[in-house]
Amino acid sequence: MRPLLEIISKGVGLSIQDGGRAGWRRFGVPVGGAMDRHSMAVANGLLGNREDAPVLELCRQGAKVLILQDTWLALAGADLGCALKPWRASHVRAGTLLDFSGRQAGLFAYLALPGGIQADQWFGSASADPRNGLGVVLEKGVRLLANQRAVSFSDDRIAGRIAIPDERRVFEGLVQLPLFRGPQFAAFSEVAQNTLVESEWTVSERSDRTGFRLEGRELEVPASIASEPVLPGSFQVTGSGQPIVTMVDGPTVGGYAKLAILPEAARDRLAQCVPGTQISFRWLD
Amino acid sequence: MDFHLQSYGERAVFIQKLSGRRQSCVLNALKVSPPHGFVEYVVGYSNVLVILDGVLSAKRFPEWLSAIPEVNQADLLPTRLLEIPVKYSGADLAAVAKMAQLSIDEVVAIHSGADYRVRMMGFAPGFPYLDGLDSRLHFERRASPRNHIVPGSVAIGGRHAGIYSVASPGGWHILGHSEHPLFQPEMAKGAAPDENAVFALAPGDRVKFVAIN
Repeated sequence: MRPLLEIISKGVGLSIQDGGRAGWRRFGVPVGGAMDRHSMAVANGLLGNREDAPVLELCRQGAKVLILQDTWLALAGADLGCALKPWRASHVRAGTLLDFSGRQAGLFAYLALPGGIQADQWFGSASADPRNGLGVVLEKGVRLLANQRAVSFSDDRIAGRIAIPDERRVFEGLVQLPLFRGPQFAAFSEVAQNTLVESEWTVSERSDRTGFRLEGRELEVPASIASEPVLPGSFQVTGSGQPIVTMVDGPTVGGYAKLAILPEAARDRLAQCVPGTQISFRWLD
Repeated sequence: MDFHLQSYGERAVFIQKLSGRRQSCVLNALKVSPPHGFVEYVVGYSNVLVILDGVLSAKRFPEWLSAIPEVNQADLLPTRLLEIPVKYSGADLAAVAKMAQLSIDEVVAIHSGADYRVRMMGFAPGFPYLDGLDSRLHFERRASPRNHIVPGSVAIGGRHAGIYSVASPGGWHILGHSEHPLFQPEMAKGAAPDENAVFALAPGDRVKFVAIN
């Protein structure tokens, strides 16, 4: 089979991601996968793929991808300034260079190939987690194939396919996210519980696929706890009084008290907040 | 049985405040007859986190839990014992000896003389939190964590012993080094790899350290 695309430039971040790996957290293996699962699922859905099929996840700017065959592609998530429009399937000619040259809105874009990217699995997932030696490392010159065995559609079904308005996301404007109470909510002072939802928080530059740091008013920190499992989306408050929101590549257990946890859809939204974004929160219930 | 339950996000439930015996009962039931919509579990120090496939499964979970059978410890899976050779030459060995007001040889004898049990695993793949550390070696983590600790570093932190399984930052005191691989990512290829080929240890296993030169 002939490859469908070639990596010309990695840019800030370019990796294969999918729905993540289930069943291995008890050994310390993070769930991993796409940072914004909603956008991954929409990109795959536009091509008739499984919603968790392997896609290319592109972060911020600088990635360049050369298309080697005429093909349908779908893009969803952040608008990174590529000529290909997000939230729709597009037919692309061989020789086209997709240049994700500039960030417009959002942090992570998802490029789906017909049938999904063909890639080896580690623990049942093709997701890249280089810190733990899982997944292929994409470098300049790497060529990727579409998983044509999985193709379950005909081209005429894709033609002109656009995500419905409910599925589209706009990563601009004020961000207010809902929160569930975390396992150690009651260990925090009432002042800390209220400060989290009454003040504004700024996404720190020191944020990555393991965690998003938030900067704002200092929260009073309760005693650390015996280490226990941590889910992505959890607000762990460290000694500095500032929350770190665990993300999908983050540690599976931790010893900091957890004040809150984002619903999964809100975690997808946080993942699209560029450093400097102002966020506020509200308690659910 | 009555359990202390706590919801965590939309589709996970903590079973808190578990004794070792009750934790074993829960883990046994999860393996033998998992609840509706079961995805996976994670073992904590004195709890178990159960992750389900959605809100409805999470709502139904307490009913499943209330009906799990009591199991005798003796009926549970046999525990394995792994002997791990350690070269005691770690960067913090002298500092730990000083804090403990012991000689280096005494620290080595105490650390390698204990019988450990894997209480839980995480934060990184294959990292074991080991119970059984002698109380003379219980110390708070280092005030400033190291940015890079090499895999195989045998360390202590708080009331636990551990072994760094992947290169990572960390704040535990490093006593020595082991060549025994704890996590082999190349063995994790495929859809359903053999856990015994990927990981040297699992929760519940026993560990002894053997001093080598």
